[in-house]
Amino acid sequence: MASATTTVIKYVGRTTDFKGKTLWEIVGSLKNFGVGRIIVRSVFERYPEPSFMKIVKVEACPDEERRRVRVWVEKTFRGRKMPQLTEIYRTSYKPDYKLIPKNEEAKLLAGVEKAHDFPDVILPNSVEMPPLMKKFIIKDHEKKGLEIMTDFTMPISYNHSPNRVKRIAKGNEKPTVAFTMGLGKPASPSLYEGVPLS
Amino acid sequence: MLSQNSLLKRTWPMLVQCAEAHRKPRWLPVAKSKIYRIPKRPVISEDERLELMRLHNNYKTQMRSIRRFYHEEMIKEKSTRESASSEMSQRLEAEEWARCVELNEKWNAQVAVEREERRKLEVAALEEYALKKIEADDIKLKERIAKASEEIKKQKELSSTFITPENLDAAIDHALANPIDYNFAIDLKGNKYEGRDTQIQYTKAKEEKSASATA
Repeated sequence: MASATTTVIKYVGRTTDFKGKTLWEIVGSLKNFGVGRIIVRSVFERYPEPSFMKIVKVEACPDEERRRVRVWVEKTFRGRKMPQLTEIYRTSYKPDYKLIPKNEEAKLLAGVEKAHDFPDVILPNSVEMPPLMKKFIIKDHEKKGLEIMTDFTMPISYNHSPNRVKRIAKGNEKPTVAFTMGLGKPASPSLYEGVPLS
Repeated sequence: MLSQNSLLKRTWPMLVQCAEAHRKPRWLPVAKSKIYRIPKRPVISEDERLELMRLHNNYKTQMRSIRRFYHEEMIKEKSTRESASSEMSQRLEAEEWARCVELNEKWNAQVAVEREERRKLEVAALEEYALKKIEADDIKLKERIAKASEEIKKQKELSSTFITPENLDAAIDHALANPIDYNFAIDLKGNKYEGRDTQIQYTKAKEEKSASATA
Protein backbone atom coordinates (compact mmCIF):
# COMPACT_ATOMS: atom_id res chain seq x y z
CA MET A 1 0.00 0.00 0.00
CA ALA A 2 1.55 3.23 1.13
CA SER A 3 4.61 1.58 2.63
CA ALA A 4 6.92 3.47 0.29
CA THR A 5 5.71 6.90 1.36
CA THR A 6 7.13 8.29 4.57
CA THR A 7 4.60 9.25 7.20
CA VAL A 8 4.56 12.92 8.09
CA ILE A 9 4.59 13.59 11.81
CA LYS A 10 2.90 16.76 12.92
CA TYR A 11 3.52 17.82 16.48
CA VAL A 12 0.78 19.60 18.40
CA GLY A 13 1.41 21.41 21.66
CA ARG A 14 3.93 23.63 23.27
CA THR A 15 7.24 24.03 21.52
CA THR A 16 10.53 23.24 23.14
CA ASP A 17 14.09 24.49 23.00
CA PHE A 18 15.43 20.96 23.00
CA LYS A 19 16.66 19.42 19.79
CA GLY A 20 18.06 15.95 19.53
CA LYS A 21 17.81 12.63 21.33
CA THR A 22 18.08 11.45 24.88
CA LEU A 23 21.47 10.24 25.96
CA TRP A 24 20.33 6.62 26.15
CA GLU A 25 19.03 6.70 22.60
CA ILE A 26 22.50 7.75 21.44
CA VAL A 27 24.66 5.68 23.76
CA GLY A 28 22.54 2.51 23.79
CA SER A 29 22.82 2.03 20.03
CA LEU A 30 26.58 2.52 19.80
CA LYS A 31 29.39 -0.02 19.99
CA ASN A 32 30.90 -0.22 23.48
CA PHE A 33 28.25 2.33 24.59
CA GLY A 34 30.02 5.00 22.57
CA VAL A 35 33.05 5.36 24.80
CA GLY A 36 35.46 7.79 23.17
CA ARG A 37 32.79 9.46 21.03
CA ILE A 38 31.86 13.11 21.29
CA ILE A 39 28.38 14.39 22.10
CA VAL A 40 26.97 17.87 22.18
CA ARG A 41 24.09 19.45 24.00
CA SER A 42 22.29 21.58 21.47
CA VAL A 43 21.26 24.13 24.13
CA PHE A 44 24.93 25.02 24.59
CA GLU A 45 25.43 25.56 20.89
CA ARG A 46 24.13 29.10 21.28
CA TYR A 47 27.53 30.22 22.51
CA PRO A 48 30.18 31.26 19.99
CA GLU A 49 32.85 29.05 21.60
CA PRO A 50 32.51 25.28 21.12
CA SER A 51 31.09 23.16 23.93
CA PHE A 52 31.23 19.38 23.73
CA MET A 53 31.65 16.28 25.86
CA LYS A 54 33.77 13.18 25.31
CA ILE A 55 32.32 9.99 26.74
CA VAL A 56 34.67 8.21 29.13
CA LYS A 57 32.51 5.68 30.96
CA VAL A 58 28.90 4.52 30.73
CA GLU A 59 26.67 2.69 33.15
CA ALA A 60 23.25 1.51 32.02
CA CYS A 61 20.26 2.15 34.27
CA PRO A 62 16.86 0.45 34.55
CA ASP A 63 14.28 1.30 31.95
CA GLU A 64 11.83 3.69 33.51
CA GLU A 65 9.34 6.15 32.13
CA ARG A 66 12.12 8.59 31.31
CA ARG A 67 15.07 6.35 30.68
CA ARG A 68 18.27 7.68 32.15
CA VAL A 69 21.83 6.55 31.88
CA ARG A 70 24.89 7.31 33.96
CA VAL A 71 27.66 8.74 31.83
CA TRP A 72 31.00 10.24 32.81
CA VAL A 73 32.36 12.75 30.37
CA GLU A 74 35.30 15.03 29.77
CA LYS A 75 33.48 18.31 29.48
CA THR A 76 34.58 21.30 27.46
CA PHE A 77 32.32 24.28 28.09
CA ARG A 78 32.74 27.41 26.00
CA GLY A 79 36.25 26.40 25.02
CA ARG A 80 37.37 25.71 28.58
CA LYS A 81 38.09 22.12 29.53
CA MET A 82 36.90 21.16 33.03
CA PRO A 83 39.71 19.73 35.17
CA GLN A 84 37.61 16.83 36.43
CA LEU A 85 35.25 14.29 34.90
CA THR A 86 31.59 15.23 35.00
CA GLU A 87 28.83 12.76 35.73
CA ILE A 88 25.63 13.07 33.73
CA TYR A 89 22.67 11.28 35.23
CA ARG A 90 19.87 13.64 36.27
CA THR A 91 19.82 15.41 32.91
CA SER A 92 20.47 12.37 30.75
CA TYR A 93 16.78 11.88 29.92
CA LYS A 94 16.55 15.25 28.18
CA PRO A 95 16.10 14.85 24.43
CA ASP A 96 18.75 17.45 23.76
CA TYR A 97 21.92 15.47 22.95
CA LYS A 98 23.55 15.13 19.59
CA LEU A 99 26.23 12.70 18.47
CA ILE A 100 29.10 14.17 16.45
CA PRO A 101 30.02 11.98 13.49
CA LYS A 102 33.58 10.73 13.51
CA ASN A 103 34.60 12.71 10.44
CA GLU A 104 33.53 15.98 12.08
CA GLU A 105 35.26 15.39 15.40
CA ALA A 106 38.60 16.74 14.21
CA LYS A 107 36.95 19.93 12.99
CA LEU A 108 35.26 20.47 16.32
CA LEU A 109 38.43 19.85 18.29
CA ALA A 110 40.37 22.20 16.03
CA GLY A 111 37.80 24.91 16.73
CA VAL A 112 38.91 25.16 20.33
CA GLU A 113 41.08 28.23 20.19
CA LYS A 114 39.63 31.03 22.17
CA ALA A 115 38.15 30.10 25.48
CA HIS A 116 35.40 31.97 27.27
CA ASP A 117 37.76 33.64 29.70
CA PHE A 118 38.26 37.10 31.17
CA PRO A 119 41.64 37.12 32.86
CA ASP A 120 41.75 40.90 33.27
CA VAL A 121 38.28 41.34 34.75
CA ILE A 122 38.12 41.61 38.53
CA LEU A 123 34.69 41.71 40.16
CA PRO A 124 34.24 43.86 43.26
CA ASN A 125 33.95 42.07 46.60
CA SER A 126 32.05 44.76 48.45
CA VAL A 127 29.29 47.21 47.68
CA GLU A 128 27.71 50.20 49.31
CA MET A 129 24.47 49.43 51.09
CA PRO A 130 21.16 50.63 49.67
CA PRO A 131 19.84 53.86 51.26
CA LEU A 132 16.94 52.35 53.21
CA MET A 133 19.18 49.67 54.66
CA LYS A 134 21.60 52.37 55.83
CA LYS A 135 18.81 54.14 57.68
CA PHE A 136 17.63 50.89 59.21
CA ILE A 137 21.08 50.04 60.47
CA ILE A 138 21.60 53.53 61.96
CA LYS A 139 18.28 53.27 63.78
CA ASP A 140 19.02 49.75 64.95
CA HIS A 141 22.41 50.70 66.33
CA GLU A 142 20.92 53.70 68.12
CA LYS A 143 18.32 51.46 69.70
CA LYS A 144 20.87 48.91 70.86
CA GLY A 145 23.31 51.56 72.09
CA LEU A 146 26.12 50.51 69.76
CA GLU A 147 28.54 52.98 68.14
CA ILE A 148 27.23 54.57 64.96
CA MET A 149 28.50 52.94 61.80
CA THR A 150 30.43 55.07 59.32
CA ASP A 151 31.46 52.46 56.76
CA PHE A 152 28.33 51.47 54.92
CA THR A 153 29.76 48.68 52.79
CA MET A 154 28.88 45.03 52.79
CA PRO A 155 30.38 42.03 51.06
CA ILE A 156 28.88 40.89 47.78
CA SER A 157 28.13 37.19 47.69
CA TYR A 158 28.41 35.48 44.34
CA ASN A 159 27.14 32.12 43.31
CA HIS A 160 29.90 29.58 43.08
CA SER A 161 30.05 27.53 39.94
CA PRO A 162 32.73 25.64 38.06
CA ASN A 163 31.75 27.74 35.04
CA ARG A 164 32.69 31.01 36.74
CA VAL A 165 35.32 32.73 34.63
CA LYS A 166 35.47 36.22 36.09
CA ARG A 167 37.75 36.60 39.09
CA ILE A 168 36.50 38.08 42.34
CA ALA A 169 38.72 40.64 44.01
CA LYS A 170 40.66 39.45 47.01
CA GLY A 171 41.36 41.82 49.90
CA ASN A 172 41.92 45.38 48.78
CA GLU A 173 42.37 44.56 45.12
CA LYS A 174 40.98 47.21 42.81
CA PRO A 175 38.03 45.90 40.79
CA THR A 176 37.82 46.62 37.11
CA VAL A 177 34.04 46.37 36.99
CA ALA A 178 31.67 48.64 38.87
CA PHE A 179 28.72 47.19 40.75
CA THR A 180 26.15 49.33 42.52
CA MET A 181 22.84 48.79 44.22
CA GLY A 182 21.22 50.98 41.56
CA LEU A 183 20.11 50.35 38.00
CA GLY A 184 23.62 50.19 36.61
CA LYS A 185 24.73 50.71 33.05
CA PRO A 186 22.14 49.45 30.56
CA ALA A 187 23.20 46.65 28.24
CA SER A 188 21.04 48.01 25.44
CA PRO A 189 20.66 51.79 25.71
CA SER A 190 18.18 51.84 22.85
CA LEU A 191 15.47 50.72 25.31
CA TYR A 192 16.04 53.76 27.54
CA GLU A 193 15.71 56.45 24.89
CA GLY A 194 14.30 59.61 26.43
CA VAL A 195 14.55 58.26 29.96
CA PRO A 196 16.88 60.12 32.31
CA LEU A 197 19.25 57.63 33.94
CA SER A 198 20.91 58.88 37.10
CA MET B 1 -39.40 25.67 41.79
CA LEU B 2 -35.86 26.77 42.56
CA SER B 3 -33.30 24.05 43.13
CA GLN B 4 -30.87 24.42 45.97
CA ASN B 5 -27.93 24.33 43.64
CA SER B 6 -29.10 27.22 41.54
CA LEU B 7 -29.84 29.22 44.67
CA LEU B 8 -26.34 28.63 45.90
CA LYS B 9 -24.89 29.52 42.53
CA ARG B 10 -26.70 32.83 42.61
CA THR B 11 -25.98 33.77 46.20
CA TRP B 12 -22.42 32.51 46.43
CA PRO B 13 -20.83 35.42 44.54
CA MET B 14 -22.93 37.86 46.51
CA LEU B 15 -21.69 36.49 49.82
CA VAL B 16 -18.09 35.89 48.95
CA GLN B 17 -16.17 38.03 46.52
CA CYS B 18 -12.93 36.28 45.77
CA ALA B 19 -10.18 38.19 44.02
CA GLU B 20 -9.52 35.27 41.73
CA ALA B 21 -12.98 33.83 41.53
CA HIS B 22 -12.55 32.99 37.86
CA ARG B 23 -9.52 30.77 38.45
CA LYS B 24 -9.64 27.02 38.71
CA PRO B 25 -7.92 25.44 41.67
CA ARG B 26 -4.33 24.40 41.04
CA TRP B 27 -5.00 20.70 41.48
CA LEU B 28 -7.67 20.40 38.80
CA PRO B 29 -6.60 19.26 35.32
CA VAL B 30 -6.80 21.45 32.26
CA ALA B 31 -10.36 22.48 31.49
CA LYS B 32 -12.07 20.63 28.62
CA SER B 33 -12.42 23.80 26.65
CA LYS B 34 -8.70 24.60 26.99
CA ILE B 35 -7.17 21.25 26.06
CA TYR B 36 -6.27 22.32 22.52
CA ARG B 37 -5.31 25.86 23.38
CA ILE B 38 -1.60 26.25 22.76
CA PRO B 39 -0.13 29.35 24.34
CA LYS B 40 2.06 31.33 22.02
CA ARG B 41 5.69 31.63 22.89
CA PRO B 42 6.58 35.15 23.93
CA VAL B 43 8.82 36.87 21.42
CA ILE B 44 11.47 39.06 22.99
CA SER B 45 13.90 41.12 21.03
CA GLU B 46 17.58 40.49 21.53
CA ASP B 47 18.15 43.94 23.07
CA GLU B 48 15.38 43.43 25.57
CA ARG B 49 16.52 39.92 26.42
CA LEU B 50 20.04 41.08 27.18
CA GLU B 51 18.83 44.02 29.26
CA LEU B 52 16.36 41.84 31.22
CA MET B 53 19.03 39.24 31.85
CA ARG B 54 21.41 41.93 33.12
CA LEU B 55 18.74 43.41 35.39
CA HIS B 56 17.73 40.03 36.78
CA ASN B 57 21.31 39.00 37.41
CA ASN B 58 22.02 42.28 39.19
CA TYR B 59 18.88 41.98 41.27
CA LYS B 60 19.71 38.44 42.32
CA THR B 61 23.26 39.37 43.31
CA GLN B 62 22.06 42.38 45.28
CA MET B 63 19.38 40.46 47.11
CA ARG B 64 21.73 37.58 47.84
CA SER B 65 24.27 40.00 49.31
CA ILE B 66 21.67 41.64 51.55
CA ARG B 67 20.22 38.33 52.65
CA ARG B 68 23.61 36.87 53.48
CA PHE B 69 24.66 40.05 55.29
CA TYR B 70 21.68 39.87 57.60
CA HIS B 71 22.01 36.13 58.04
CA GLU B 72 25.62 36.46 59.13
CA GLU B 73 24.76 39.33 61.43
CA MET B 74 22.08 37.20 63.05
CA ILE B 75 24.52 34.33 63.57
CA LYS B 76 27.11 36.72 65.06
CA GLU B 77 24.58 38.26 67.42
CA LYS B 78 23.33 34.89 68.49
CA SER B 79 26.80 33.57 69.24
CA THR B 80 27.75 36.67 71.27
CA ARG B 81 24.51 36.48 73.19
CA GLU B 82 25.02 32.81 73.85
CA SER B 83 28.61 33.20 75.02
CA ALA B 84 27.68 36.11 77.30
CA SER B 85 24.72 34.28 78.72
CA SER B 86 26.73 31.11 79.21
CA GLU B 87 29.44 32.97 81.20
CA MET B 88 26.83 34.69 83.32
CA SER B 89 24.93 31.49 83.89
CA GLN B 90 28.10 29.63 84.87
CA ARG B 91 28.96 32.24 87.51
CA LEU B 92 25.42 32.22 88.82
CA GLU B 93 25.41 28.47 88.94
CA ALA B 94 28.68 28.36 90.92
CA GLU B 95 27.31 30.88 93.40
CA GLU B 96 24.13 28.92 93.80
CA TRP B 97 26.13 25.74 94.35
CA ALA B 98 28.28 27.34 97.07
CA ARG B 99 25.19 28.67 98.79
CA CYS B 100 23.56 25.26 98.68
CA VAL B 101 26.65 23.57 100.14
CA GLU B 102 26.82 26.07 102.99
CA LEU B 103 23.17 25.63 103.82
CA ASN B 104 23.50 21.88 103.69
CA GLU B 105 26.44 21.90 106.10
CA LYS B 106 24.52 24.10 108.52
CA TRP B 107 21.61 21.71 108.40
CA ASN B 108 23.91 18.75 108.90
CA ALA B 109 25.47 20.30 112.03
CA GLN B 110 22.06 21.06 113.46
CA VAL B 111 20.85 17.57 112.79
CA ALA B 112 24.03 16.12 114.38
CA VAL B 113 23.43 18.03 117.62
CA GLU B 114 19.84 16.88 117.70
CA ARG B 115 20.90 13.32 117.02
CA GLU B 116 23.44 13.35 119.90
CA GLU B 117 20.79 14.54 122.34
CA ARG B 118 18.36 11.98 121.16
CA ARG B 119 20.95 9.22 121.37
CA LYS B 120 21.75 10.17 124.93
CA LEU B 121 18.10 10.04 125.89
CA GLU B 122 17.64 6.76 124.09
CA VAL B 123 20.67 5.17 125.81
CA ALA B 124 19.43 6.33 129.21
CA ALA B 125 15.98 4.94 128.53
CA LEU B 126 17.46 1.63 127.43
CA GLU B 127 19.61 1.39 130.53
CA GLU B 128 16.66 2.12 132.76
CA TYR B 129 14.58 -0.47 131.00
CA ALA B 130 17.31 -3.07 131.33
CA LEU B 131 17.82 -2.40 135.02
CA LYS B 132 14.10 -2.61 135.64
CA LYS B 133 13.90 -5.84 133.78
CA ILE B 134 16.82 -7.34 135.73
CA GLU B 135 15.20 -6.30 138.99
CA ALA B 136 11.84 -7.72 137.97
CA ASP B 137 13.49 -10.97 136.92
CA ASP B 138 15.29 -11.19 140.24
CA ILE B 139 12.08 -10.72 142.15
CA LYS B 140 10.35 -13.31 140.05
CA LEU B 141 13.16 -15.78 140.54
CA LYS B 142 13.14 -15.22 144.30
CA GLU B 143 9.41 -15.75 144.39
CA ARG B 144 9.72 -18.93 142.44
CA ILE B 145 12.49 -20.18 144.77
CA ALA B 146 10.39 -19.36 147.82
CA LYS B 147 7.38 -21.10 146.36
CA ALA B 148 9.44 -24.16 145.53
CA SER B 149 11.05 -24.32 148.99
CA GLU B 150 7.64 -24.08 150.60
CA GLU B 151 6.40 -26.93 148.43
CA ILE B 152 9.43 -28.97 149.37
CA LYS B 153 8.76 -28.31 153.05
CA LYS B 154 5.13 -29.35 152.64
CA GLN B 155 6.10 -32.52 150.81
CA LYS B 156 8.70 -33.31 153.45
CA GLU B 157 6.05 -32.99 156.14
CA LEU B 158 3.70 -35.16 154.13
CA SER B 159 6.37 -37.74 153.49
CA SER B 160 5.87 -39.12 157.04
CA THR B 161 2.43 -40.40 155.99
CA PHE B 162 3.66 -42.03 152.72
CA ILE B 163 3.22 -45.78 152.36
CA THR B 164 6.62 -47.39 152.22
CA PRO B 165 7.57 -51.08 151.81
CA GLU B 166 8.13 -51.25 155.56
CA ASN B 167 4.62 -50.17 156.57
CA LEU B 168 2.84 -51.60 153.51
CA ASP B 169 1.35 -54.53 155.41
CA ALA B 170 0.15 -52.27 158.21
CA ALA B 171 -1.43 -49.94 155.63
CA ILE B 172 -3.19 -52.83 153.93
CA ASP B 173 -4.44 -54.07 157.23
CA HIS B 174 -5.62 -50.62 158.13
CA ALA B 175 -7.42 -50.27 154.80
CA LEU B 176 -9.09 -53.60 155.15
CA ALA B 177 -10.05 -52.83 158.72
CA ASN B 178 -11.63 -49.48 157.78
CA PRO B 179 -13.61 -49.80 154.48
CA ILE B 180 -14.94 -46.50 153.20
CA ASP B 181 -18.19 -46.25 151.34
CA TYR B 182 -18.29 -43.21 149.06
CA ASN B 183 -21.94 -43.65 148.02
CA PHE B 184 -24.37 -41.06 149.24
CA ALA B 185 -27.81 -39.62 148.67
CA ILE B 186 -29.11 -36.06 148.70
CA ASP B 187 -32.56 -34.94 149.71
CA LEU B 188 -34.38 -31.85 148.48
CA LYS B 189 -32.80 -29.64 151.09
CA GLY B 190 -29.29 -30.71 150.07
CA ASN B 191 -28.59 -32.90 153.07
CA LYS B 192 -26.02 -35.49 152.29
CA TYR B 193 -26.58 -39.08 153.52
CA GLU B 194 -23.40 -41.05 153.19
CA GLY B 195 -23.32 -44.77 152.82
CA ARG B 196 -25.32 -47.16 150.75
CA ASP B 197 -27.13 -48.83 153.59
CA THR B 198 -27.72 -45.85 155.86
CA GLN B 199 -31.20 -45.73 157.33
CA ILE B 200 -32.88 -42.39 156.87
CA GLN B 201 -34.68 -40.86 159.88
CA TYR B 202 -37.71 -38.98 158.44
CA THR B 203 -39.05 -36.04 160.46
CA LYS B 204 -42.84 -35.34 160.70
CA ALA B 205 -42.96 -32.40 158.44
CA LYS B 206 -41.10 -34.32 155.91
CA GLU B 207 -43.61 -37.13 156.09
CA GLU B 208 -46.63 -34.84 155.59
CA LYS B 209 -45.07 -33.15 152.69
CA SER B 210 -44.17 -36.37 151.01
CA ALA B 211 -47.68 -37.70 151.62
CA SER B 212 -49.33 -34.64 150.02
CA ALA B 213 -46.95 -34.90 147.13
CA THR B 214 -47.87 -38.53 146.49
CA ALA B 215 -51.63 -37.94 146.92
